Amino acid sequence: MTLLVLILIPLAGALVVGLSPERQAKWIALAWTSLALGAAIFAAFMFDWANPGVIQFSPKNHASGDLTPLLPLVPSLGISISLGADSVSMFLILLTTLLGPLCVLGSFTAITERVKTFYVWLLILQAAMTGVFAARDLILFYVCFEFTLAPMFVLISLYGSTNRRYAAIKFFLYTFTGSMIALAGLVYVAWVYSTIHNGAWSFDIADMQHAALTMSRTEQTWVLFALLAGFAVKVPLFPVHTWLPLAHTEAPTAGSVLLAGVLLKLGTYGIFRFVLPFVPLAVAEYASLIAIISIIGILYAGFICWVQTDVKKLVAYSSVSHLGFCVLGLVALNMVGGAGSVMYMINHGLSTGALFFCIGMMYERYHTRSMNEVGGLARRMPVWSFFMVFFTMASVGLPGLNGFVGEFMALLGTFQSGARTIGAGGTHGPLGPWFAAVAATGMIVAAMYLLYMVGRVVFGPLKEPDHHHAHETLPADLNAREITVLAPLAVLCVVLGVYPSPMLRALEAPVATTIAAAREASSRMAPVPMDSGHAEVALIHDGEASR
Amino acid sequence: MISVMQTIPATLASHAPAAAGAAHAPTAPGDSSAIWLILIPLLPLVSSILCGIYRAWGVTSKLPGYTTVLALAVSFIVTLTGYLSFGGAGVQIVHGFQWLNISWGEAHGQSLTANFSLYIDSLTWLWMLFVTGLATLIALYSTEYMSEDQKNGGYARYFSFFSLFVFAMSCLVMGDNLLLLYLGWEGVGLCSYLLIGYYYTKPAAVAAAKKAFIVNRIGDLGLALGMMLAFVEFGSLEFSEIFARVAEIQATVAAGGHVSWQIEAIPLLLMVGAFGKSAQLPLYVWLPDAMEGPTPVSALIHAATMVTAGVYLIARFLPLFALNPTSLAIVAWVGGLTALLAATIGMSQFDIKRVMAYSTVSQLGYMFLGLGVLTATGAAYHVFTHAFFKATLFLSCGAVMHGFAGQLDLRKLSGLRKLKGWGIVTLAMLVGCLCLAGFPFTSGFFSKDMILAEAFVTQGPGYQALGILALITAGMTAYYSFRVFFRVFCGPVEFHPSDDHHGDSEEEHEAHEDAEGHHGFHPHAPGWAINLVLMVLIVGSLAAAIPYFVDKENHGWVGGLVHDSTAGHLVLPTVAHGAEDAAHGAEAVAHGEGFWSDPHKWMYYVSGTIGFIGIGLAWLIHMTRRTEAATAPIADGLKNAMRPVSTWCERKWYVDEFYDIIFRYPLKILSHLFYLLDQLLVDGLVNFAGAVPRMLGRSLRPSQNGLLQSYAVGMGGGVAVILFIVWILL
Repeated sequence: MTLLVLILIPLAGALVVGLSPERQAKWIALAWTSLALGAAIFAAFMFDWANPGVIQFSPKNHASGDLTPLLPLVPSLGISISLGADSVSMFLILLTTLLGPLCVLGSFTAITERVKTFYVWLLILQAAMTGVFAARDLILFYVCFEFTLAPMFVLISLYGSTNRRYAAIKFFLYTFTGSMIALAGLVYVAWVYSTIHNGAWSFDIADMQHAALTMSRTEQTWVLFALLAGFAVKVPLFPVHTWLPLAHTEAPTAGSVLLAGVLLKLGTYGIFRFVLPFVPLAVAEYASLIAIISIIGILYAGFICWVQTDVKKLVAYSSVSHLGFCVLGLVALNMVGGAGSVMYMINHGLSTGALFFCIGMMYERYHTRSMNEVGGLARRMPVWSFFMVFFTMASVGLPGLNGFVGEFMALLGTFQSGARTIGAGGTHGPLGPWFAAVAATGMIVAAMYLLYMVGRVVFGPLKEPDHHHAHETLPADLNAREITVLAPLAVLCVVLGVYPSPMLRALEAPVATTIAAAREASSRMAPVPMDSGHAEVALIHDGEASR
Repeated sequence: MISVMQTIPATLASHAPAAAGAAHAPTAPGDSSAIWLILIPLLPLVSSILCGIYRAWGVTSKLPGYTTVLALAVSFIVTLTGYLSFGGAGVQIVHGFQWLNISWGEAHGQSLTANFSLYIDSLTWLWMLFVTGLATLIALYSTEYMSEDQKNGGYARYFSFFSLFVFAMSCLVMGDNLLLLYLGWEGVGLCSYLLIGYYYTKPAAVAAAKKAFIVNRIGDLGLALGMMLAFVEFGSLEFSEIFARVAEIQATVAAGGHVSWQIEAIPLLLMVGAFGKSAQLPLYVWLPDAMEGPTPVSALIHAATMVTAGVYLIARFLPLFALNPTSLAIVAWVGGLTALLAATIGMSQFDIKRVMAYSTVSQLGYMFLGLGVLTATGAAYHVFTHAFFKATLFLSCGAVMHGFAGQLDLRKLSGLRKLKGWGIVTLAMLVGCLCLAGFPFTSGFFSKDMILAEAFVTQGPGYQALGILALITAGMTAYYSFRVFFRVFCGPVEFHPSDDHHGDSEEEHEAHEDAEGHHGFHPHAPGWAINLVLMVLIVGSLAAAIPYFVDKENHGWVGGLVHDSTAGHLVLPTVAHGAEDAAHGAEAVAHGEGFWSDPHKWMYYVSGTIGFIGIGLAWLIHMTRRTEAATAPIADGLKNAMRPVSTWCERKWYVDEFYDIIFRYPLKILSHLFYLLDQLLVDGLVNFAGAVPRMLGRSLRPSQNGLLQSYAVGMGGGVAVILFIVWILL
């Protein structure tokens, strides 16, 4: 029930905002998103942190331990609304609900026309995103996953910059196509379930996982690529990323923040929730390929960042680069990499979200994002500059701030994974030190482009556009409202950077469950024992037999 | 914050060579309680936060400065008390709180543990004593030096970063695991970045700051990978665990076993980090540019403390380096060559601060040479003496800069010792130069000789040649340091104020120019804070020689500290010394009979003579026949005679330009190509793919213009069909 409330609050908020007068819209939206945040914090308190790997907030059948659906929609097809969260979902829900009120607060002066529509769609977007993380059955997951597109499409196409129509359509079509293919893969898994269970249907994630594990290696490979088609576009991974810089650049600030902060995580969350546990054999086989793609993305996008003049585009491309680390950690198939990757999802949401806020605040004052036109703002906006440098440092992965934890762990996980000596700290896995060594050069590239950005926008001689006039309502530097938007993010960056231990402990159980099968498969692929081939054959054989 | 305290008494077998096969771990656990040691890093952190708050409140008094001085002074007192209480008591591990903790099993090596805990042994004490001590003095100096920036808020910002630096430095030195060391390592890099870029409106300062951070990151990459490899090999990042494992390996090696190549690779990776942070070839290029920061920052961070972090890292892991003689040889050669190269550049620079910067690079090279030839004592002692005399030199330069409106060109300053109020500065400069030049019986003399002598006796690839190079470098050092002294402080009185003032406020600049005019410029002599600090440092620089005579058995007080630390027990995988502790073996050879067989003895005379020659040349070239600041006939004549070489030296051997050509420009071009590729090819294909269903839709069903549907259904449906067919076929 708790999770349902978390989805319903923003929906109800959307309704209320829709019915309220235009002028009060922002305050009502703020109230409802704050309410959702309060509810999420309450849910976090209710969450049993002693068992973070157990799916919670789900009406539990204590006799069998099965999760029963909340609302059976089409029982004959096994379609239902069932919700539940483990710690990974919980953290992502908290991130989503935290960014909600901040986005509303950050849009107070930026959105001046069609205000109501804006907040209605923003609230709907939040509900959809919460739904993705809380869903325990495939249909609900997929509906929410796709439904995030519509609000985002509206936000970009109505409130974006000059090229917004093109960006919005491209964003929609690109990600929609990808997720259609992913749906095909998921439906295929459901089909497998139905074949095993004599025509009975279920879309419950746990049920489907059992079914998926019976698939042969070839089937798994097909499903892997189908799923990746959807999730890789969303992440986005290297060759399918081109919608992102465009969408980010054109989107309004709140849209960019949610896009970078949460929507990209739908991709990595999808990989975490579906790809790793569903198709372990294929993952073990293709992990190194996915890792190579991620590493190419890290460096390729990083270098592209370095030659940007549009500061928003720079940060957008930096997301492509950063999320490469995230996927890399996931396919390392070990605890450090997996937990680091989940940390990365949260941390990237905080620091890059905050960077987009900062850029939005600059844009509101100067109406330009070009580093050729503005520069040296430290002199004009010291408070803003402080936050800008701070979040840049978090993004660059400075130890002591949050970005470092995820980045270091993702890299260490990669390094450990399949280390030549399975010695003291090495683990079985598909990657190895060379992957980590190449990926780690991304740390240097990140320093290059982020300091290049800060060096031009924040430091150096003051440069303002010629046509620049002071904003009618905004002061030269940040006002109290804007500081309120950035301060919580900054505090969280420090807290998660200095004391991530509790969170890491809470990630142990779900990460272990998620990667178990793939890791097992990977260690059996290791060329050490002679009978490894037999083991695989046996597993596939078992799979066929049980069908 | 749960705190448990353990003391690990040193069970170091002092000089007794380790019996074959019997590994003695340098440490063993014991108990004590001294949680108050956590104040050493904590106080600077608190001070940094307070100064940040002052900045936000717009405090314009000297409060931030005094807060910092107080916090650092107390931190120093705590360090001193700690040293006096536990200095000889082995390793202290003070547990703070959990930082990164995750586990994936119960067995050893199946958990990642990195806490905010302190690992304090004698090496740590050595470093912390001079770090906190000098930081206090330099903060006091800064209260006066930075006073011009009180109005615009730079003052509080400066001290906030300054304190943060001391915090990061103490994490680096005191951390009980590699990850906390890495935090400090990157933290000092951040503070260095922020402080080099302190005058952020100056493009040169911003560029220098960026360069420092990025070049350091290249080194950090090595350190990070070394850390990961160490974790994979040792199963832990904590020093106590790592050194226990190292001791096991040492035992195997002593018994004639082999070292795996993975273990051998760890020092090779760690040293890259050390080369970056300590400005060694090929990563030294950031340090000279770092002089764009305020001079006290150059004194503290870029001369006395931060740049010695690399020396600390290698000294800390010297047992690991000793297991791979190749790594030692690389360290020695890189150090020796860096010393030489930097000295050649230092001889030809005209900006006195740059001269000092290159001399820092050069002296750091000596320290690495010392580590490479396994005299960690010599290296650490040189770190110690260098910290004092180089801080003295920089702060003297700072006083000149402060008094002469940013003038640092030695062609535009002359005869300062004859000006009223500049006596202490002159004396400080003289003492600093004497120490740097290795003038007999100064502190620099003793510490440098230790390294030089050891280079001649240690066996290694071309170490004798390296020793001769180092001797030549010593002569150059004497020359260029006294070149500065003779030109700036002796000779006819003459001075021209600088065109660009070091302040970042334009109004200030104008005000200065009004006051200056062209003839009416009056230099302002340093005030009490600067003079006081300089006096303390003069005494400190000279007194740094005293530890050499204490504890003679261990080659001085510093030697005793090094010997009690993790660097004290080395096992080299060489056949020559068999199971015997090779470091001591080498020394035994060194201390043979007779005068010539003990290089520590004859080196005094040789290096002393070379120092005299260098100073004499400087006198000849830069004092005699010099009638005004800019003209020194002999110097100019020499310069013309040695035309290509002198130009190359002056232009810093074009190393920056070389790096630009082979790294920066190609990468920039590559980046542009990537961006072009991204827009045209990667995105172009997508747009093409997007256009196909649209065109199909147009041609097949002209009536339908629904873009979304046709595209999505076309693509998604098609793939679903393919998958279905595949499934049927299977």
